[in-house]
Amino acid sequence: MPIYLYIDRGTFVHRLHPTVKVFALFVMFWSVYWVDQPIALLPVGLVMLWIAQLTDSWPNFYRLRWLFGILVFTTTIAWMVFYRRGAVLVNIPVFHVSRLSLVFGFGRGIKLAELLAASVLFLSTTKIEEFTYGLQRMRVPYRVSFAISLSFRLVPLFIDSAVTIVDAQRLRGYDFNQGGPLERVRRYVPVVIPVFMGALRKANNMAMALEARGFGFSHEPTTFIEYPVTSTDIMAFVFLIGLGTMNFMFYWTGVGRIGPLK
Amino acid sequence: MKTDAQIPVSIPAAHAASVEGVTFTYHGADRPALRAVSFAQAAGETIGVMGASGAGKSTLAKCLNRIVPEFEDGDFHGAITIAGEPLEHLRVCDVAPKVGMVFQDFESQLFSTNVAHEVAFAMEQVGMDRAEMDRRIMPALEAVGLRGFEHRDPMSLSGGEKQRLAIASVLALRPSVIVLDEPTTDLDPEGRAEVFALIAKLRAEGLSLIVIEHESEELRAADRIIVLREGEVAADGPPAEVFARTELLTTCGVRPPGLGRALELLGIDAQPKDVDAALEAILRTYPRLAKTLIEGPADSSVEHPPTAAAKNPAFIGIENVSFGYADGPRVLDSIDLQVEAGEFLAIVGQNGSGKTTLAKHIVGLLQPATGRVTIDGKDRTQMRPAETARAVAYVFQNPDHQIFAATVEDEVAFGPRNFGLPEDEIRRRCDEALEAVGLRNERQSDPFLLSKGERQRLAVASVLVLRPRMLILDEPTTGLDHREQLRMMALVRDLNRAGIAIVIITHTPWLVAEYARRVVLMRKGAKIFDGGVREFFMQDELLRSSSFRAPEITELSRRFGTLALNTDEFVAWVKGRA
Repeated sequence: MPIYLYIDRGTFVHRLHPTVKVFALFVMFWSVYWVDQPIALLPVGLVMLWIAQLTDSWPNFYRLRWLFGILVFTTTIAWMVFYRRGAVLVNIPVFHVSRLSLVFGFGRGIKLAELLAASVLFLSTTKIEEFTYGLQRMRVPYRVSFAISLSFRLVPLFIDSAVTIVDAQRLRGYDFNQGGPLERVRRYVPVVIPVFMGALRKANNMAMALEARGFGFSHEPTTFIEYPVTSTDIMAFVFLIGLGTMNFMFYWTGVGRIGPLK
Repeated sequence: MKTDAQIPVSIPAAHAASVEGVTFTYHGADRPALRAVSFAQAAGETIGVMGASGAGKSTLAKCLNRIVPEFEDGDFHGAITIAGEPLEHLRVCDVAPKVGMVFQDFESQLFSTNVAHEVAFAMEQVGMDRAEMDRRIMPALEAVGLRGFEHRDPMSLSGGEKQRLAIASVLALRPSVIVLDEPTTDLDPEGRAEVFALIAKLRAEGLSLIVIEHESEELRAADRIIVLREGEVAADGPPAEVFARTELLTTCGVRPPGLGRALELLGIDAQPKDVDAALEAILRTYPRLAKTLIEGPADSSVEHPPTAAAKNPAFIGIENVSFGYADGPRVLDSIDLQVEAGEFLAIVGQNGSGKTTLAKHIVGLLQPATGRVTIDGKDRTQMRPAETARAVAYVFQNPDHQIFAATVEDEVAFGPRNFGLPEDEIRRRCDEALEAVGLRNERQSDPFLLSKGERQRLAVASVLVLRPRMLILDEPTTGLDHREQLRMMALVRDLNRAGIAIVIITHTPWLVAEYARRVVLMRKGAKIFDGGVREFFMQDELLRSSSFRAPEITELSRRFGTLALNTDEFVAWVKGRA
C-alpha cells in the first residue's frame, strides 16, 4: 500500500508553480474559515470536486473515506450537544435537536471535511520539494519550510511503524477495545511508547543524515529544480483571489453565516 | 580506461584521511567509546573496519565527519585531517563536501520524491549552481547503475537501489573519503550483492573508502582491515594477515572467514581470497583429494543424508492460501505448506517474496483471500487469540516494535497478564523465560538500556512466556554482531531441542546451513522449493536465480563432490579422505 498521497499525473494543476499551490491551499482554508452555512460552502466544495476529478485524486479520497464520514457525522452529533439554539424537533436527553443545531453541526462537519479535502488535494498534486520551494518563496525560512515538508514525509513512516506495533502487542493477547473511552485511550500506552521511542530514533538518524549531506552549510541553498511562472499560474492566481474574495463576501453579507450575529 | 561513470576525486594530499590519537567518551558514559585510535588512510585505499557491537566502529565513522563530537555530545581528544585539512572547529555540514557518509538506515537518508533531485540535495545545500549540479547528476547515477531511474520516486526503489542512490548522492559531492557504516545490514542477498559490487567498482576507480561491516567474507578484497575492541585498535593490517588471527577475531566478536578457518584446522598456513584459492591450497597439502574433484557443480547423485520428509502429522497446515492487498498484486499465490511439531524450518527469499506475509497468516495477523490455515488440525479462524498465541508466537524483526514496559520483568509479564493468568503463575513463567534467554539477572533493568542483542532475546522471552509450541522469528540476527548472533541462535536451537518448532525468516546463508533442517524458498509470492537443507544447497540454478549464495565452505565442499554445511563438517570430511 502506498504510504504517500502524491499521485504523479501531468495535469495543469500538477504543473502549477509551487507558490501558487501553497497559495491555493491557503485560499481554500481561508474560504472555508469564513463560511458556516452548508449551502454557502458548496462553491468551494464544487471547486475541490472539480480539481479532484481533474487531477485523478479519487484513490486518496477513497483511502480516507472513513475519516471524511466520521468527521461529518461526529461533528454534526457533537454540535447538537453544544449548540442549543432553535426550536426542539425531537426530545433526546443531553442533545438539542433543532433545525438550527442540525444545520450548524452539519456545516461544521462539512467545513472540517473541506479542510481535509484541501489538504488531500494539495498532497496529491504537490511533491515535498515543491512544498519547500513554495514556502521559501513565501519568505518562510529554509529550515522551517524544510522541517514542515519533512514532517509530511515522516507521518506515513510513523503510521507504518504504529501498525506493526499494534500487531506485535495484539499477538501478546492485548485487547485495545476493552473499557470505556478513557480506558481505551489509556490502553494505547503500549503502542505510544514504542512509536515515540522509534520516532526519536528515526528523527535522530535523519538529523545526522541531513547534516552529513550538508544541511545548514548555506542559509540560502540553491535549487536544482526551477519552476518558471507561466500564464496558467497567473490565471490560477486570479481565480484563487476571486474565490477567496467571494467567500469573504459570503461572511460579510451574512449569506455564509447561521443565526443572528454574535 | 576512465569512463563517464567514473567520479573524479579531489585528493590533494597523500593521505585521504588521518586519525591521530582519537579518544571519545559519550556524555554520561563511564568508559570511552574510542581510545587513542590512530591510523592513516592512503589516497585510494579501502579500509574495512570490524568489531563487535559497542567496539566503537560507528563512533569512529561519526568522528570522520564531525557528527562526533558536534552532534553527539561528549569528551573528544585527538586530531583528524581529511586530505590534509584539519577538521577541528568545523561543523558537520562543513565536512559534507570532504567526507561522504552512507548510513545503515536507508529510509532515514532519502529526503526527496525524485531520484535526480535526491542526488542534487547535498549539492543544493552547499550552494552549487544549477549547471554544475546538472553536470554531476548523471555521472553519479551512472556510477551506481541507476541511470534511467532519474524520475523514479526513491521510495519505490528496492533496498539495494535505495542504498546505491544514497551512495550516488554522496558521490556527486566528490568527497575525498566515503564512509559506509554497515550499508547492507537491512538488505536482502540481492541488495547486498548490488552494494558490494558497487563498492568493488568504486575501489577499482581509486576512491578512498572506509567500510564498516560484520561479514568478514565481504571485506576480503579491502586493502586493509582494522579491528576494534572496546574502542581500541586490536588489529590493523592486510586482510590475509588479520583474518589469519582467528583467535583474536573470535575474542573481538568477529566471525573469521569460513575458508580461512577451515584451512587453519587442516594445518594449512594460507588465507585464501576465494573458493578457488582455498581449493588450490588444499590440493597442495592433500593431493589425493584431486581425484574427488568434479567438473562443474555437483549433481544430486552426490552422497548426502535424506531430505526432511513429512513423518508426523502437520502442526501447521497451509492449504492453497492466496493473498493480496487491496488494488495490489498477489503477495501469496496458492501456497501449500505443512510444518510439523518440533521442526526447524527456514523460510528464505528476496524482499517482497512473501515470507513475512506467509508468517502473518500463520499467526492470524492476516486472513487469506482463498484457502485456509490450520493449527494442530483446527481452522485458525475458529481459534480465540489466546489459543493462537499459546500455539504459535511471532518475534518481530525489530524488538523495539514491542518494548514499552519500565522493567524487563514487566515486559515479559505483559503477555500472560493479558491472558489473565494468576500472578504467581506469571512470576514462575517469567523466571523460566528469562532463564531460557539468559536475562534473569536483568529482570529489574530498563529494557531500553539493554543492547540490541539483549533486546532481541527479551522479545523472545516475552512470547516464550506464553509457552507456545511454535516460534516464528523474523530475521532474528539482523543488526547483531557475530557473538550476539551465535548466542541468539544457540538459544533458538535449545528451544528447538526442548520441542518447540522453529520457523526462521532469514537472508543469512550460514544460519540456514548451520541451524535449519528444512528450507522453503519463496519467490514472488510462490513457494518454489521445499526440502532439506542439503538438497537446497545443491540447487545451483535456483540459488543463482534467487540471489541466494551457499556459504563459501559449502561451495568449496561441492567442488570436491561432497556437501558440507559448516567448517567442522568439511574438515572432518577432508581428514577422513586424506
